[in-house]
Amino acid sequence: MARASDTGGTPDAGTGGTGQPAVLHVDIDAFFASIEQQRDPRLRGRPVIVGAGVIASCSYEARRFGLKAGMTLSEARRLCPRAVIIEGHAQVYRCYAEEVFARCREVAPAVETYLDEAYCDLTGTERLHGDLLEAARRLKRSILEATGLTVTCGLGPNRMLAKLVGKTVKPDGLARVTAAGADAFVRDLPVEKLAGVGHAHAKTLRSMNVRTAGDMRVLPVETLVRLFGAPGRLLYERCRGRDTAAVNEREIPVSISRETSFHRDTADRAEIEGMLEYLAGRACRTSRELGVRPRTVGVRLRYADGEGDERERTLPQPSDADPVVLALALDLLARLFTRRVALHNVGLVLSGFTRAGAEQGALFDEREAGRRAALCRAFDGVRSAYGHGVLVSGRALHLKGRLEEDEHGFVLRTPSLTK
Amino acid sequence: MRQEPIDESVSVRADFQGGAVTPIAFRRRGREHRVVRVNARWVDRVPRHPHYYFSVTDESGDVYQLQLQAGDLVWWLDSVALEG
Repeated sequence: MARASDTGGTPDAGTGGTGQPAVLHVDIDAFFASIEQQRDPRLRGRPVIVGAGVIASCSYEARRFGLKAGMTLSEARRLCPRAVIIEGHAQVYRCYAEEVFARCREVAPAVETYLDEAYCDLTGTERLHGDLLEAARRLKRSILEATGLTVTCGLGPNRMLAKLVGKTVKPDGLARVTAAGADAFVRDLPVEKLAGVGHAHAKTLRSMNVRTAGDMRVLPVETLVRLFGAPGRLLYERCRGRDTAAVNEREIPVSISRETSFHRDTADRAEIEGMLEYLAGRACRTSRELGVRPRTVGVRLRYADGEGDERERTLPQPSDADPVVLALALDLLARLFTRRVALHNVGLVLSGFTRAGAEQGALFDEREAGRRAALCRAFDGVRSAYGHGVLVSGRALHLKGRLEEDEHGFVLRTPSLTK
Repeated sequence: MRQEPIDESVSVRADFQGGAVTPIAFRRRGREHRVVRVNARWVDRVPRHPHYYFSVTDESGDVYQLQLQAGDLVWWLDSVALEG
């Protein structure tokens, strides 16, 4: 059942009225679980969990039992023994997300997308759309018809308010907060609702008897900076309902990560290094497709006993070449994997991106780098035509015969559903 | 609920009206499975030619995943979803 609400001020004030900024936040309701319920009607109306180890997404039926994303599956089973647990189908979710985002791009000139949500900049589009709340309603209908998924939309004068007001009407809701109504809307919100206030910050603020955004406004910006560092400045603005971050088509990602758990916990170095090589290859290929090169490489691992560790290091020159990234990743792994305990999970993170071609190369390395780049391009061409799995290199050969393969490469046990 | 892979090329009767493809029945191991409901459809546009996926329920109530590869117009029966 769709719900709508309009918070404060006249309908057009601050959300699309003559040049006023207007941002629409689109959030797919219970994303992974909704798709699974669609794909298999026998799951409809039942508590459904998607995830391995922890809940990545759960249906609203499951949420009634107190289940939520991030909870361990053992805890989820205890709270809701009849929940249906599905490991997930990342490729399917990606296809659905692309369909939803394509609909968003039909109505907004700039769309910033994440896994299951998008920010649409509707500023200046009121002559095209008329009432923006009505435009959002049409978008919801179009997404439902195209994908069968419900989304919750929040419309506001900035990103933060758009997202916050949407949260008040989930699922399948539509709400608007105007510039005139922003102050009253934010004032009574618990501090935890503000972006950038996690458990630790909230605890600090509660110890000072600061519980709502309104309470937070009495703190001078200097105090917030002393407490939380540079993000304190953002919090000073956010508790006043102000957010100046623009909606950006994210051409350069913050990070690209690939991780998986092993089918069986393992201490076999050949298998671990093989998996790391495979993950590095996948991450580097994505990096090349986006035309960006990482400067920083990180490796994270989790042991079978739940302990985890991660470390990152910077490359001398940004590089998207598999061998360069892998060499550093293997070195990090050697330094991290020191306990005599089997590994449950391994992951690789690339970050600190620069646009490919924009960085300075080292003079004498250029010929070698050029050859590597040509080889990687050739690999990418073959893989695009015939699937990633047709070429397997070096240590990743150790995975052959141990893991199933499909056109996308090795079938990982729990590929990060977010990738 | 678990997906049992099948990965077999199958013959499919399909309706192409209105610019959209809808499977009506498929034949596997000599038996025709009539599609009583298309539960979901999605498209993977990453490959050079799109792959069209369908989750369908046949007359016995089983839920299958069919795939049409637009490049060579071959239908695949990817998997069946089993309870338990």
